[in-house]
Amino acid sequence: MTAGLNLVLMASAALFAIGAFALVARRSAIVMVLGTQFMFAACGIAFVAFGRFGLGAKNQNAGAAMALFAGAVAVTELAVGLAMAAIVYREHRNFALDADRG
Amino acid sequence: MPLIGALPQPITSTPLVFFVYLVLILLLGSALASVLLRNTLYAVGAFAASMVLVALLYLAIAPFLLVAIQLLVFTTVSAALLIGLLRATTGLRTSSVGRLSPQWIIGAAVSAAVLALVGVVLGATSWPTGFCCGIIVGLGPVLTNIYPVGLAVLAVILASAALGSGLLLIAPTLPSPARGGGSRTVRR
Repeated sequence: MTAGLNLVLMASAALFAIGAFALVARRSAIVMVLGTQFMFAACGIAFVAFGRFGLGAKNQNAGAAMALFAGAVAVTELAVGLAMAAIVYREHRNFALDADRG
Repeated sequence: MPLIGALPQPITSTPLVFFVYLVLILLLGSALASVLLRNTLYAVGAFAASMVLVALLYLAIAPFLLVAIQLLVFTTVSAALLIGLLRATTGLRTSSVGRLSPQWIIGAAVSAAVLALVGVVLGATSWPTGFCCGIIVGLGPVLTNIYPVGLAVLAVILASAALGSGLLLIAPTLPSPARGGGSRTVRR
């Protein structure tokens, strides 16, 4: 039994699917932002997996560097998204993005 | 001379393979829980657990610098932002569960079991120092020597995001169309 590129990529794809599900199926702004975070994390895991198992010895740090950048962008997106969620809550007293539909 | 060097082999150490499988299963489970839970505070807790599990996965397959940044910066900043938002909006009340209630005891038992599992893996293998860090070294020099522009852009993005989110939080709100009026309310 081994753990290689295929296993980590499958888990990464599943995590991305969970994030996409949260983004399209939930209406809470916080859960939608969390869904985008999971999608970013899945991309980071895929980068690291390719760097560790698929790029060769000369490029094995490249995937980790890309994952680092993706994680930082994810945190930035989280900050902006939560600020927008705070404004939605301030307006509607609710995190639901379709709260004004009546 | 090959352009990419020797291709690394998959992980074959049995305890480490079990650890990777366990971390991946827990990661997907906690992510699913975070998405499906109705209680926002529980969803945030499951999200923080997912980020910790991503760091544990990185511990097995990535340089230690990425593990440290994922655990100490990304996870803590994300959790702090989410908890701060909940405190500022819905408010967080203290737990009504007593200190020695069965919930706390079960939680402590699960935490102790996970820590014991990590201890067993650490004791049975030379991981992580003999595995990840022996193979993959020098992410810091790679970042500063090969990706200096990326680091600079990242600093600008982080700073502008901090500025933008702060401005959004202190900005006056717009009245909703249902309540009439489209003019911007000014808070004095």
